[in-house]
Amino acid sequence: MRHLIVTVLLLISCTTFMQAQRMTVENVHKASARNASAIKEGSEVKGYYFFFISDKIDKKTNEYTLRITDNALKLLKDVKFQDSKHVYIIESSFNGTDLIFLLYNDDERTFEYQVYGADGKRKHSYNRQLTKKEERFLEATYLAMNDDDETYKGLYPIENNGFISVMPSREDKDYTFQVDYFGTGKKKQWTYIPTDGGKKFVGDYLGTYNGVVFIEVLRFGGAFDQKPDSYIIGLNLETGKKMFEKPTDGKYRFYPASLSLVNGGKAYIYGEYFDVDGNIMKDKSKGFAFWNIDENGKILSEKYLGWDTDMGKYLSVNSKGKIDDFGFMFLHQFVQTADGNIYAVGEGYKKVASALGILSTIASRGGSGRASVTKLQVTDMMILTFDQNFNIKGAKVYDKNKNNFEMSGGYEFVSTPLLGKMIKYQYGGFDYAYTQVSSDLTSFSVCYSDFVKEKGSYKGGTFNSITVTDGKVTTDRINTKSDAKFSAVYPSKQGQVLIMDYFKKDKRLEMHIEKLN
Amino acid sequence: MKYTAVTTLSFLIWAGTLSLSAQLQPVFTFQKDDTTVKRKYYNEALKKKAQLISEIKKEYSKDYKTAYNDMFEMVEELLLSHRTVTEKNADAYIKAVTEKIINANSELKNLDLRIVFTRDFLPNAYSVGDGTIAFNAGLFVYLHTEAEMAFIICHELAHYYLKHSLSRLDRYVQLKNSDSLKKEIKRIVKEEYRVNEQVERLLKNYAFDMRKHSRDKEAEADKVGLQFFKNTGYSGASFITTMQLLDEIDDTTLFQSADLRKLLSFPNYTFKERWVKKESIIFGALDPEESSTLTAKEKDSLKTHPDCSIRIALLQADAIGIVGKDFLIDQTYFYQLQQAFIPELVEEIFESNNLSFNLYLNLQMLQEKKYVPLAIYSVARNLNIIYQQQKEHKLGLITDSENKKYTEGYNLLLRMLSRIRLNELAEMNEAFCSYYSNQMNNFKAFTEEHEKAIRNKNIHINN
Repeated sequence: MRHLIVTVLLLISCTTFMQAQRMTVENVHKASARNASAIKEGSEVKGYYFFFISDKIDKKTNEYTLRITDNALKLLKDVKFQDSKHVYIIESSFNGTDLIFLLYNDDERTFEYQVYGADGKRKHSYNRQLTKKEERFLEATYLAMNDDDETYKGLYPIENNGFISVMPSREDKDYTFQVDYFGTGKKKQWTYIPTDGGKKFVGDYLGTYNGVVFIEVLRFGGAFDQKPDSYIIGLNLETGKKMFEKPTDGKYRFYPASLSLVNGGKAYIYGEYFDVDGNIMKDKSKGFAFWNIDENGKILSEKYLGWDTDMGKYLSVNSKGKIDDFGFMFLHQFVQTADGNIYAVGEGYKKVASALGILSTIASRGGSGRASVTKLQVTDMMILTFDQNFNIKGAKVYDKNKNNFEMSGGYEFVSTPLLGKMIKYQYGGFDYAYTQVSSDLTSFSVCYSDFVKEKGSYKGGTFNSITVTDGKVTTDRINTKSDAKFSAVYPSKQGQVLIMDYFKKDKRLEMHIEKLN
Repeated sequence: MKYTAVTTLSFLIWAGTLSLSAQLQPVFTFQKDDTTVKRKYYNEALKKKAQLISEIKKEYSKDYKTAYNDMFEMVEELLLSHRTVTEKNADAYIKAVTEKIINANSELKNLDLRIVFTRDFLPNAYSVGDGTIAFNAGLFVYLHTEAEMAFIICHELAHYYLKHSLSRLDRYVQLKNSDSLKKEIKRIVKEEYRVNEQVERLLKNYAFDMRKHSRDKEAEADKVGLQFFKNTGYSGASFITTMQLLDEIDDTTLFQSADLRKLLSFPNYTFKERWVKKESIIFGALDPEESSTLTAKEKDSLKTHPDCSIRIALLQADAIGIVGKDFLIDQTYFYQLQQAFIPELVEEIFESNNLSFNLYLNLQMLQEKKYVPLAIYSVARNLNIIYQQQKEHKLGLITDSENKKYTEGYNLLLRMLSRIRLNELAEMNEAFCSYYSNQMNNFKAFTEEHEKAIRNKNIHINN
């Protein structure tokens, strides 16, 4: 009662605090990362949303407020609506003009995609009903991901046109994925679900070029298939009709990771390649491949750079001794800048002996339940540079503290490349956070976390960046240890970060934007 | 003897320093405040505080005491800060205009009054309620005549004479303790559903009640102020021109929009278009009306000076009939003071820690060739501070961010500051300082900033 009176009078005397680039919200009883997030157009942060219950309407219904701010935290609009108390916000995206939000009702098992126009008004609403099987599968996959790097991977903007959604799906007994298109001009939707010739499909959105949506597909013959077929499909952006299906194995087995329009608007896909009979889940890649592809799926040119031949030599020249410490490279991202240079962003990891595992093995006399005699170690960041003809021209390692993961017994025999995937998807153990590219492609920043212990000075978590601007590299570090109960660094405009601190004792949430150097 | 030799030697060194520093001029000389006047005003205000507190009745005495303490905290912050102008001539001028009004209106003669100019940029004047009246230079620089200044003082004197601030304070305390508010809150607390909706409605009602009270008092201050004004000998037309000025003042600027591309391009460093290239924005076509739940009427109330057209209509007929002059005290000094205030207003923004706005205003002054040495020095100084703050990840604390309420030119500068890299900032400032170094080589403060800029640039070259 007293608390409410105080609140009422505070509001009468106008004590709301909201200043440029900083925002403080009082009376926050619970802070959750899921209900506040960046709204992105590709990798560029265009704003933020904050989703909260603003009132209880009746037993089953809540009033929700979707607060949308620009990327300097200035309030643009509060969208209020009433819905079931079982509604959550999942993700958002921006395509240069329109904004889309995905809401999930876990009681009715429905997805609702709400589209808002440039005038801030709701334009369309698209609904999808999930089956019980689908719901279970999504809860174990897509809905279970809650870190920034993984959660916001399902909704891709098509500039001034609409959005593409790619997420796991179930069709009867098949584990597959579903591609949806949501128009933002006229209300229009199509869906594509691959089910032919396999028991399990994994799909990754590569990009859209000349009205064709490129998807990389892995098709597994069964649940334990270790050598899935890899191919690219092209879907007509207007109709969703499959235009082509192009296997990615030929001279080598190619595993495309992304698509960029470069060298005068041509489409290039690039990623790691393997031996043609290799196992992309287990084997170490042979190097990087670059394919020039057209809208019919025709390969116009191919280029392969081997670790041992091209890059190995370069690395040994420039980082002698260092690559041994670095271990294997897990590829996080490819970026191409306006000058044509291509950058591969990776992080090192390797197996090392585990004192705990060895002791545990001795104690258990090799029995079950012991820790592994080797452990995983995540090492440094690395950026490889290629010219516009895809020749390697530089490699640089960025030191950071090493993280160790103890593994269960038996993992000694799992291949190192597969362990890299486990670090990424099972342990969430890499320090890499995200990469942002400026809209004019002249600059990009690679961001990652670290932990430092500096004698007599700072000891705690850090947020780090490697920024390349017009080919020039700068690095920066922000110390993240503070008095707050919970602190988080979120992506902001390119070259900037949003720092959020929750002070539990004061029920206060503070946000401020800072530049990376 | 020994003492004399040392003294002579010291004198020679001192004389040498003097002759050197005679060549190194300060970039600008600001009006010098009289600190004894500030202290005198503050002591008078303290006496008033003691008197008001001694007169508090028993009922709700704690709330009244808190409210008075808050009020005097504001008075103290104003009177003891560098914001208050107590320079001899400026202080004498505002007192002379005020005395002209008081002498013409006997009911004002025994008021316990302290009227001061402030260096605040906000175009406003206000009566705190204890007898302190502040006239912001941010408003004074836009006035056309002394008569307009006199009407504004009359309006603020009316607020004080009619005890409006004290009555607002009283209303607030009574409202806070009212049975009806307590009863309503008690009822809402027991509700399970639509609680926030009911709280919002309650707040809105009380906020509007307070605002309506405030508006009624404004109208009353206009009316009584005009009565005071009528007897002074100033022209009545100034009432209308003052109101028209206040109506437009939020959209008025002191200088032309700064051409950043021209101002920040130098022979050895050019402005980069990517710093200001326009990006897509969320809700780019959002009608400002849509981003707010406020009605047009509610929004008008948020303007620095709401309802001006209504206020003109109410008193226009009376005002037109007042025959008088535009200047009665000192026309020449009025314009001189306006000019003297401009760099002080700009510098006060720097003192209040808003470096981005201070930088923009100095670029505008440089463009218009006004207060040039000060403008050049301030740009160099600000870019060096911005560099340091950016390096320490604290830039967000001293700069604004793009906002529709700012001018296009200022938004462009803010966009540039949000994108320019640390090394580019260092290079740009070094190029700026080099460009103006010949013109500024007599100014020590500038030379120091130039040296800092060179050091900052070299850090990046060496890395």
